[in-house]
Amino acid sequence: MKKIIYSLAALLVLLVLGRYMRPATQESGYDLAGFAELPVQVGGRIKPLDSVARNTLLVLAARQKVETLDGQILSPIEWFLDLTMRPERADTHPVFKIEFPDDLGLDGLYQPGKRHYSFNDLRPHFETINQRFREIDPEPKKRDAYQRQIAELNNGLSLYHRVMHSLHPIGEPQRLDQLADEYRSYLSLLQPAMAELRKQKDGENYDAELVKTFLGFGEDYIRLSQTAQLRIIPPPAPIDPMEDWFNLGDELLNVIQTGQLSPYAMSYAGLTMAYRAGDATTFNQTLSELLQRVTADFPDDIGRVHFERLFNASQPFAIAIELYVLVFIFICISWLRWPATLGKAAFWILCLAFALHTFGLAARMYIQERPPVTNLYSSAVFVGWGAVLLGAFLEKFHRNGIGGAMAALVGFSTLIIAHHLAMTGDTLEMMRAVLDSNFWLATHVIIITLGYSAMFFAGALAIAFIFLGLLRRSFDKSAARSLTGMVYGITCFAALFSLVGTILGGIWADQSWGRFWGWDPKENGALMIVIMCAITLHARWGGIARERGIMALAILGNIVTAWSWFGTNLLGVGLHSYGFTDSGFLWMCAFALSQLLCIAFAYIPSRYWRSEFGQSQP
Amino acid sequence: MLTALLQIFGSLRLTVILLSASMVLIFFGTIDQVEYGIWHTQKLYFESFVVAWQYPALWPAGDQLTWLRIPMFGGYTIGSLMLINLTVAYTRRFSLKAAKIGLYAIHSGLMLLIVSELLTDLLAVESQMTVPENGRANYSQTVRENELVLIDRSHPDHDQVHAIPAEILKPGHTLDIPDTSLRARVLHFYPNAQLVRTSDASSPANRGVATKMGVTAIPRAPDYSEKAINTATAYIEILDGDASLGTWLLANVLDERFPPQTVQTYERDYEIALRFQRHYYPFEIELLDFAHDKYPGTDIPFNFSSKVITHHPEPAKNQQALIYMNHPLRYEGLTFYQASFSPDETATILQVVRNPGWLLPYFSVLLMGLGMTYQFGLHFIKYLNKRKPA
Repeated sequence: MKKIIYSLAALLVLLVLGRYMRPATQESGYDLAGFAELPVQVGGRIKPLDSVARNTLLVLAARQKVETLDGQILSPIEWFLDLTMRPERADTHPVFKIEFPDDLGLDGLYQPGKRHYSFNDLRPHFETINQRFREIDPEPKKRDAYQRQIAELNNGLSLYHRVMHSLHPIGEPQRLDQLADEYRSYLSLLQPAMAELRKQKDGENYDAELVKTFLGFGEDYIRLSQTAQLRIIPPPAPIDPMEDWFNLGDELLNVIQTGQLSPYAMSYAGLTMAYRAGDATTFNQTLSELLQRVTADFPDDIGRVHFERLFNASQPFAIAIELYVLVFIFICISWLRWPATLGKAAFWILCLAFALHTFGLAARMYIQERPPVTNLYSSAVFVGWGAVLLGAFLEKFHRNGIGGAMAALVGFSTLIIAHHLAMTGDTLEMMRAVLDSNFWLATHVIIITLGYSAMFFAGALAIAFIFLGLLRRSFDKSAARSLTGMVYGITCFAALFSLVGTILGGIWADQSWGRFWGWDPKENGALMIVIMCAITLHARWGGIARERGIMALAILGNIVTAWSWFGTNLLGVGLHSYGFTDSGFLWMCAFALSQLLCIAFAYIPSRYWRSEFGQSQP
Repeated sequence: MLTALLQIFGSLRLTVILLSASMVLIFFGTIDQVEYGIWHTQKLYFESFVVAWQYPALWPAGDQLTWLRIPMFGGYTIGSLMLINLTVAYTRRFSLKAAKIGLYAIHSGLMLLIVSELLTDLLAVESQMTVPENGRANYSQTVRENELVLIDRSHPDHDQVHAIPAEILKPGHTLDIPDTSLRARVLHFYPNAQLVRTSDASSPANRGVATKMGVTAIPRAPDYSEKAINTATAYIEILDGDASLGTWLLANVLDERFPPQTVQTYERDYEIALRFQRHYYPFEIELLDFAHDKYPGTDIPFNFSSKVITHHPEPAKNQQALIYMNHPLRYEGLTFYQASFSPDETATILQVVRNPGWLLPYFSVLLMGLGMTYQFGLHFIKYLNKRKPA
């Protein structure tokens, strides 16, 4: 039996891994991996086009793939190729996610059952969308669901347009077929046109036709410089990492001063023409020249850019999510049959998931050169990581599956939350000046986030206590005592970390703007966690709460922690906005209600408890 | 009797009740910030003895439920009761044991923290100083508070400022103006108002800008949002003995951009104004250079810093410093922080804080952190000794 169970576990793990390890489809013949690795400067750092494609798609479509009209599945970089090089085709891809299309009041848009719409579907409604956008509340926190949807759609269309024109000028798609020729004729026109312009200025006879053509280019490129989203052209070597890159429009205008077009612009034109002509050989040839240039220009950065693409493709968090589910199922079954074998298998899968979780965390740290928690997304990843660490530790000591199951539960939930938080775009963004302090990020933020981990883990253990006590006959007094001890210990840990973290935050605030404590929502939230721990601990020491009371308090701690972590972000302080219409608010409420329900379970009279522990209660 | 009372005040039950009360207070003191902003809520909830939360009109069924109020103890009440609770518990249960050293450290730290927060509430002063590049400033001001001032500009080398804080400008009251023979009678005081030009003659003012430009004030509800600046406005009558010298419309928006309003007495002229409260210092700060760096290719600020030099009457105290994020200048009992800058980046805005108790939280933190580490460390070692990994 043992062997069968272990082989089954191994098989399931391999199945999960296998789904993510499939090699990228290369059937088209284009070197997609190479293209995905081309660097751009976005949000203050250099990253691969792959990240840009994924983040843009997440913002627009809330997922990392595109399903075309003919049922083909495109990876983000394939979609990006279409968007920037074959816009006429990209416009037919349904990438705009509209949650409630019928609420928008756009006549003829809504198609039953359809949630993703293409640029062409939306084309007849541009005027209306833009007009409605101008009518809504300019303060984002005060917008209702309808207004948010309009704003999202309007901003999405603008983002789509701006990313599309990152690699080529604005105009008919056919213009892209002669892109390199266009640049060449612009360059050859430059000297003569400047001479003619000087003549015009001096009042001499000049070639009006030539000047007009040239000014036509100029106007076009000015428009492009205002539109193009991505800075794809680095300044000429040697390159200072703090220097601004140029978008294509800026570069084409720079030419008027420098007289030379960056080879990067020429290469992108070549790639565009080859891709449109379906000429994979030329595409790959041009690409490999461009990549060689990149390697020569950025010897220090290319490794990181390459790694970021691999990290994107490996999706460690997605795999960890599935493995956590597997762990949870294994442990639940282990409580019914084969506890030792299944428990052991579950523990090792938990370790594997934890290793992937850790790899993801470390990879983000390497890419960003920052401590692990820099924004809400990374805090979610880290809260889960901390809780899994605690759970694996307890499981190692107690070997009863409770620590492992709850670790898997919290790990899974927090990674799901992180997944949804990632929809807003780049999760590896730069820090604003006031937050830009690796010292405080590494101390205050880490410690306080570990406090969240401990609070949620204690709460999860308490929920396990209640369900085991209610349902499981063999849950006896000594098991209850041991579990209470765990909740108590983790709460002590949470108290220490929350307190030290909160106070370090105060010191940071004192260093930054001279106020140790300002009673702002985030600070208050952190303080509430500290107080919650203090209540639980004092209630236990004073004998005011017994096992079930402690469990109820620990579950209440879940609500307080969720409030501190997310709830405070919903409030529009001083704006008269409570965030009721935010989808985050609904989730908050649902979570709080579920926890209150668990607390109510804790107080079900003991005669209804099936466990030995419950029966022994007065 | 006394023993019973001490038992109640020193009990863990009271501790738990107070902790729970503080949690409720903090929760409502957080959500009410949506209505009143941080600054005002802090006064209502945490720097008070009692407070009542009112059901917000914006909540579901808000129009029917605004009568609903939840009274609760404010920060001062809870803080004092906690101090009493801790002190009584200490005196009743104190015993010097190694196993309890951590607990004493934690709770002493907590007492220190409560005291330091009270000191900060009472003593700390925050204001902002704007210094133009290559220019100097010798005062800071706060846009949250206002003052009524009479300025005597007749001295050749300095001006004399007679100031009354706006907090005590209560309608109907008559106040002595410090160091003068004059008195100010407050006809109206509006924390926020809109100034409009009108031909309507109902304005009580009979001097200055109100009569010259036909301006009157329409009271408005104060705006509590973070960046809002309220237009504090008042109608003030100045009395010399019992004789009225006139009534002026004063507002903090009628600043240097407008011609000064003047009170004439037999002896001298005074400029009269209602302005943001100023704090003057015996030294000047000169801004040598302001720098503002952004991440490449973005508008996200990466760093901003001010290079300043101080000019003190005692030259030995002059000092040059670079003020930037997380690196304030501590000087003459004040601390200068990089707060902001003017939109054209030619002037820096420094946050100036005077807080004599600023070091106390650091001690308290040290006590609490070490105490907890010690106490829970003991528990943890016991746990590890009891259980070896299976």
